[in-house]
Amino acid sequence: MLDMIKRKSGTANSSATIASVKDLTVHFQSKKGKVHAVDRVSFEIYDGETLGLVGETGCGKSVTGRSFLQLLPIPPGILAQGTVNFHPHARCASCTGEGCAECEHTGRCPVPCPSCEGSGCSRCDDSGAETVELLRLPDRDIREIRGDRIAMIFQDPGKALNPTLTIGDQISEVFFQHRTDDLLEASGFDAADREFGAGALKRLASQRNGGIDNLLLSIPPLRGRRDRILKALSEMVAEALAQTHIPNPQQVMDRYPHELSGGMRQRVMIAQALACNPDLLIADEPTTALDVTVQARILDLISDLQQRRQTSVLYISHDLSLVRRICDRVAVMYAGRIVEIGRTDQVFKNPCHPYTRGLLQAVPTAARKRGELMAIKGTVPELVDPAPSCRFIGRCQYEQSACRMQDPALHPVADEHSVSCFIHHPAPAGDAPGFDKRTS
Amino acid sequence: MQLKDYIIRRLIILPFLIIGVSVVVFSLTRIGGSPVGIYLSHEMSQEQVAEIEARFHLDKSLPVQYFYWARGVLSGDFGWSGVSVAPVAEVFPKKLAATMELAVASGIVAVAIGVWLGTFAGARRNKPADHITRIVAVSGASMPNFWFAILLLIVFWANLGWAPIGRASPELFAAVPQRTGLYTVDSLIAGNLNAFFDALWHLMLPAITLGYGATAIIARMMRSSLVEELQQDYVDAARAKGLPERLVLKKHARRNALIPTVTVIGLTFGFLLQGTVSIEIIFRWPGIGKWMADSVLRGDQATLMTYVLFTSILFLFVNLVVDIIYANLDRRVELGK
Amino acid sequence: MVDFPQSTRRNAIDTIAPESALRVRWRRSTELTAKILSNPATVLGFAIIVAMFFMAIFAPWITTANTPDPYQMPRDWGATRMPPGTPGYPLGTTNEGGDVYYGIVWGTRMSLQLSITVVGITLVVGSIIGSLAGFIGGKLDEVLMRIVDVFLSIPELIFALAIAAILGPSFGNIMFALAVVFWVKYARIMRARVIQIKNSDYIDAARIIGDSKLNIYFRDILPNSFTPVMVQATLDMGNVVLIAATLSFIGLGEAGIAEWGVLVSEGQAGIASGRWWASTFPGLMIFLWALAFNLVGDGLRDALDPRTESSR
Repeated sequence: MLDMIKRKSGTANSSATIASVKDLTVHFQSKKGKVHAVDRVSFEIYDGETLGLVGETGCGKSVTGRSFLQLLPIPPGILAQGTVNFHPHARCASCTGEGCAECEHTGRCPVPCPSCEGSGCSRCDDSGAETVELLRLPDRDIREIRGDRIAMIFQDPGKALNPTLTIGDQISEVFFQHRTDDLLEASGFDAADREFGAGALKRLASQRNGGIDNLLLSIPPLRGRRDRILKALSEMVAEALAQTHIPNPQQVMDRYPHELSGGMRQRVMIAQALACNPDLLIADEPTTALDVTVQARILDLISDLQQRRQTSVLYISHDLSLVRRICDRVAVMYAGRIVEIGRTDQVFKNPCHPYTRGLLQAVPTAARKRGELMAIKGTVPELVDPAPSCRFIGRCQYEQSACRMQDPALHPVADEHSVSCFIHHPAPAGDAPGFDKRTS
Repeated sequence: MQLKDYIIRRLIILPFLIIGVSVVVFSLTRIGGSPVGIYLSHEMSQEQVAEIEARFHLDKSLPVQYFYWARGVLSGDFGWSGVSVAPVAEVFPKKLAATMELAVASGIVAVAIGVWLGTFAGARRNKPADHITRIVAVSGASMPNFWFAILLLIVFWANLGWAPIGRASPELFAAVPQRTGLYTVDSLIAGNLNAFFDALWHLMLPAITLGYGATAIIARMMRSSLVEELQQDYVDAARAKGLPERLVLKKHARRNALIPTVTVIGLTFGFLLQGTVSIEIIFRWPGIGKWMADSVLRGDQATLMTYVLFTSILFLFVNLVVDIIYANLDRRVELGK
Repeated sequence: MVDFPQSTRRNAIDTIAPESALRVRWRRSTELTAKILSNPATVLGFAIIVAMFFMAIFAPWITTANTPDPYQMPRDWGATRMPPGTPGYPLGTTNEGGDVYYGIVWGTRMSLQLSITVVGITLVVGSIIGSLAGFIGGKLDEVLMRIVDVFLSIPELIFALAIAAILGPSFGNIMFALAVVFWVKYARIMRARVIQIKNSDYIDAARIIGDSKLNIYFRDILPNSFTPVMVQATLDMGNVVLIAATLSFIGLGEAGIAEWGVLVSEGQAGIASGRWWASTFPGLMIFLWALAFNLVGDGLRDALDPRTESSR
């Protein structure tokens, strides 16, 4: 069954997709008008890969990442159009998540589409795998995906952890929300049981317990049950923390976020994100707020965990050198549009968009001589009701009249490598730009 | 700095602040000249006046007078109340119970409603419910409480005849033994439900009037801090974990939003104490506020001094407790700068 | 690596055109004004204030001033306890034949005098003391702040009440009492702000280039530290009137003057017999006055707070 899905979906390449974004368009209502924060963005994330999403501040990369989990503030945000199709996996039936040969040691298996059983149909976007459309998923369903199938790491771990709850409390919430049955099972309780206090125990294990439940659970015989649940919970939390190489997880659990260093906090965030073995991890600039020395270690940790569990990662960053280090593919965003996407080696060896070239020239490398660093002139345009021209206009060294007429779409220049620039595909009207034709 | 050190430091400063307040209070009474006048009558001779001055140490220098006054206060001698024709120390506790009953009742109501209202509005930011709450909050902070009391009296007492004036019906409370001085508590202890509801009935209008301003202040603070907390990253992080909105609000945002609100609740206590003066006058509530106002108008300085000293010290202690609670709640707070 | 076409302009970072300091200030203040006026509640507050100021300034033209002292309520013993709408007495009269409308108009004038005097004096005194304490620091700061701590330990209404009570019932004494109580807030706010600015980078920069202490104080610190005090001053314009009215109501005002608190107190006697107007209208004025300054003060604070940039 597994093979069948892969064969069917592997059209241009040999791997299945975990998520595909089509024409995602997000506007923000502001006093000056509609800000086109993300404009017709399309890309796919392959199963098990790390995709880097690179761009300057305000180019829409975080908005893109957040829209996966419906974490955009609406209003002022407006989902104008587009879909994000996600193919959730299920826990491997033969190893119950431990990792075995069947699931290639990931603990997860793809789920075939219920309507076509893997052969591909309109329901599943022709992928053959179960498909959910994230942007329009009802509240209840998206909550089941959040933290379980898709997890997120935030930029500043100091702000993304609640200062008034202990580390243990915060990681526990993930298990309460998504691993209720495991918790009950670990305490030797059958979910179908109808004995006295069963409701209270279930509510405790799913964080729906009220004051009466707490009172009930604090007196024997339920007290013992409660303690067993809490013990199982603390073991699960410790295990999650240990995954991220945190020393003394039992002690860290009782700490408050401000008592930990920035690197440790980000490890906690990662532990929390990977606690349920998600299919997709959205990492929104996870190392930006950290010291440079810590950055490298966190980066290694993410790529290590990613390789071990084959979790797909959408790595959002403004830092090209980081992206080059850990990503399989790179998508470059500029002013709400993807201007170039391809395998990391393709994009870095042969950058085809003037913006990508500019970015690469702005990064110091050992090979470059002193004084060769170049900044891209101008600033990011305001995205309020933009003209139908290329977004890079005014900052581009090669712009011609064609660039002002129409916004170029993504076009393939090589296998898996696409660029949206008229240098690489014929312009509909006006003078076509070229790398040999420089305008001031 | 450790929490314990912080508390100890605050406790060390406290006596000095109290001494400072007592100096200010004492100096106040001497702005208007020697208080010897209240002990004199027209028939007294020069010698008699001098004898009285000597008896009350009024012939000494001001610092020495302060010393004698402070010694008296420490030994429980707060002076003589001309209005009540009794020592201040004797009347004060009885009057205090009435004021405390009123202040605590409105305080409880204000905290409960204020926190709830602020949460309600903050979670529905910029929706109609939010706007209404803000209007209520701003008008509550601008409302002269004596005017609000009169408005309520015009409607509920003068026109509808629903609400009573005064503290309780005397005939009902003749049989209730006074243990705590709080009529609601005393009647409950005595098991006299009739008296209890009567006390509650009398308490209602003054408590609402007094509590309105405090409710507004608390609701406003709670709303703005909740709005601020809801914009924090950890709220999105909690959502990203899959928590339902109810828990995001209750377990994450509200918990943090309560921290700055606690400080305001402490300040509100001072606000309630101040407010009792005019409320007690209007509702003829026999508390220390009304007593002090009556005394002031007749030049009874001993009552005034005791009142100011007492409320200030109470205010200081409440603020200390609030600061300690705050430091305990907010683990980010850096103690002592 | 591909061979990049070499740019003719190296290090082509845009230089930001220097804008004159005056233009920057002008632009900022227009932006701020626009931001303040974008809040309808603030605009409402402004409208009430303008109406009140108009009433206060033109009081002698709106009503016939009482002689010899226009701030004394005129008494018409032939028209006591008149309901609102009586010809000549649009808002009715009090038990003693005082014209409620006259009291409201001249009460506005008194409130304006009171609030401007008290806020003006306390603002100046408090700001000087606070900024000096913060700027000079050391022993002076320590001593001044302990005094401030003591003053802040006494609830403000009770403190003002005590002072006014000892000095005897008069409007002037209420003003004096309020001035004694209110300066501390400004001292504390100003001190915190001055210390914050003193420790900022641009003051370090001024020090490094060798500016004199006096220069730094007057040119860099003072002009930049007034915003939080101004917000407090706006709020206090309302608070001062509220507290003064409370003191008058309790009985510390002069009986018979056209002051809102006194009028409410006077009118209280009639409510049992259904004469609601004599205290309702003056009280409404107190409420509107305090409300207006609270609205504007809140709007000002929101507009000046960079964190509220995105909200609203």
